[in-house]
Amino acid sequence: MLIRIDPSSADPLFEQVGQQVRALVARGDLPVGTRLPSARDLAASLDVNLHTVLRAYQDLRDDGVIELRRGRGAVVAHAPDHAPLHRAIAAVVAAARELDVPPATTLALLKEALR
Amino acid sequence: MTTPTTTVPFRRSTTILTLVAPVAVLACATLVAVSWADDLPDPVAVHWGAHGPDGFGGLASAILPMVVVGLLTSVGFWALSFWAGRSAATRRLAAGTSVGLAVFLGGILLGGLAGQRGLTDARDAPGPTTTILVAALAGIVCGALAAVVSPGDPERPATAPIDPHAPRLALSGSERAVWQRTATSRGMVVVAVVAAVTVLAVTVVTRVWALGLLTVAIVALIATMAVFDVTVDDRGLVAKGLLGWPRLEVPLDEVVAARATTVVPVRDYGGWGYRVGRGGRIGVVLRKGEALEVRRTGERAAVVTVDDAATAAALLNTLADRARA
Repeated sequence: MLIRIDPSSADPLFEQVGQQVRALVARGDLPVGTRLPSARDLAASLDVNLHTVLRAYQDLRDDGVIELRRGRGAVVAHAPDHAPLHRAIAAVVAAARELDVPPATTLALLKEALR
Repeated sequence: MTTPTTTVPFRRSTTILTLVAPVAVLACATLVAVSWADDLPDPVAVHWGAHGPDGFGGLASAILPMVVVGLLTSVGFWALSFWAGRSAATRRLAAGTSVGLAVFLGGILLGGLAGQRGLTDARDAPGPTTTILVAALAGIVCGALAAVVSPGDPERPATAPIDPHAPRLALSGSERAVWQRTATSRGMVVVAVVAAVTVLAVTVVTRVWALGLLTVAIVALIATMAVFDVTVDDRGLVAKGLLGWPRLEVPLDEVVAARATTVVPVRDYGGWGYRVGRGGRIGVVLRKGEALEVRRTGERAAVVTVDDAATAAALLNTLADRARA
């Protein structure tokens, strides 16, 4: 799994970590049962505070994406089939490109619609 | 590409540890055995079955096989680390195996003969279990010691930029990234579990309880050799076993270039596990197929069989670029 965060972005770091894992699970890149790196290791790798990763993992657990087990760390718990969503997103991207709508505008529209 | 050929480092200590020390151990064992000649029965017991000694021969036939096997192993590993020992792991594996095996063989020889001193008939020789256990333990301890005192790799930061043709990943200047994956050898786990259960069954049936230690050794082998966590981040590459050991590390500043490659375990490394392969490459070889290959300064190379190696290689090159800019 590749996780990337951008400290210069407005989104909090724990949210960025959570979003990355969510996307990987939703795309099927992290099948059910996959062991995630320990919060300590991930925090060291990304040079962020341990609590940033712990908060991301706790949010993921609250949403049922991962299970946190004592001693075994974080394990992917649930990988739903999001294929229709991926198709719809691909359609949105295609439409935005065709209409020359900038990514920021498309994102703003999506965020608005998701509210 | 024209890279200057660096000579293999630490050849003197390699020769002392991997050739001189084990030969000295075997020579001492031989001398002691010969000095016991007058106290020993003739012939002596050289092989044991389930019901006591079942193979007999002259003193030379007890000494020779141990010395020949020990010498051949030692010369082989010395040659390996003398000509291909660019990585500390190669030198440690070679020194540890040579010394450990020499001590084990010497111990078996002397232990087997010591019990026969003063006997007139070798058929009364005591069983070999204790001797084997003590010799194995001494071999492991001395081998580990030889590996530990083998000189490590000095820091060798790269001076040249990463090969411009090596794969890269789009990463903005402010972004941080980590790639992580667990590499598992299913085959090794299956074989080890079957072996452990079989040995356990044999232990119970034959009541040679010392064999139970073999089961423990096999389980330890799975824990250290069958599962590796592989991480690429801005410190470099780390592949570590379940217990945190063994570890294969390449610091970011020693990366020459990384790429995805294909590994055929037996052809390239002679088997599976933490290995020394052709040209002294250090490999964590868990299966056939896709692998991450990292060329390192000092003409070293590290290889880990892991899925999605292309992403790992691209990230490592990109992070190294950034650190060297």
